[in-house]
Amino acid sequence: MTPDQPDLVRGLTAEDQAAVLALGAPVSLTAGQVLFALGAEADSLFLIRRGRIGLSLPMQVAGREEDIVIEEHGAGETLGWSALVPPHRFTLKATAPLETDVLAIRRTDLLHYCAANPRVGQVVALNIAAIVARRLQVFQAMWLRQTQRVVSQLHA
Amino acid sequence: MEMFLMVLTLSVVGVLVSGILFRAATRETSEAPAAAFSPLIAADEERFFMIRPAAPADASRAGAGALVLQIEQHVRLERAAAEAFLQWPTVEALHMRTLAPLPR
Repeated sequence: MTPDQPDLVRGLTAEDQAAVLALGAPVSLTAGQVLFALGAEADSLFLIRRGRIGLSLPMQVAGREEDIVIEEHGAGETLGWSALVPPHRFTLKATAPLETDVLAIRRTDLLHYCAANPRVGQVVALNIAAIVARRLQVFQAMWLRQTQRVVSQLHA
Repeated sequence: MEMFLMVLTLSVVGVLVSGILFRAATRETSEAPAAAFSPLIAADEERFFMIRPAAPADASRAGAGALVLQIEQHVRLERAAAEAFLQWPTVEALHMRTLAPLPR
């Protein structure tokens, strides 16, 4: 996956890729700027063109609430797929640790385009399914490793 | 004879001085037994070349910051281990150890 071959449009022809990407609006973020907050309404998904985005969750650390970065994504990667999944609320906080450019694609624009171009819609849907599945598989493995750790400590 | 008297006088004076110093030293320690040495001084005491304790708020903030970094490093390594498992799924890969800083 590269910025020239973003994960969202992988497998599409160059023409179709350009058409899907043309739905997006460029957004520039300064270092430390929040792209979206936990619990905010999700009406766009984001494709990183340059820079990085850290996804974090709040955690109580030493009596204070701290944002813990649990994932980082770079150029060519898509995030914010909560925009496509009810109840359309972000479940993580996204922050740019450095100057970053993203493409914001509104849910309604993407769905309308995919409805009008089912062949493209199928490829895009499968790409999004792969992104969601990756998240699930990684966190499933992390959860199991953590559970194993707790069990091992209990029986140590 | 004069030599003997001079040595005797000096010896007596020496013993007296030693006794006075010894008494003074032992009285000082018995009257202030709680004044133990500590490299730390009170925050409002101004001295050079002394280790000054940090303000409690700064210390807790720095401690929390260090802990956050440890947690994030832990998550990063655990995530890498999970991704390695997905690349080549085996039981060994699932439970491989990492250098994650949090206790396991």
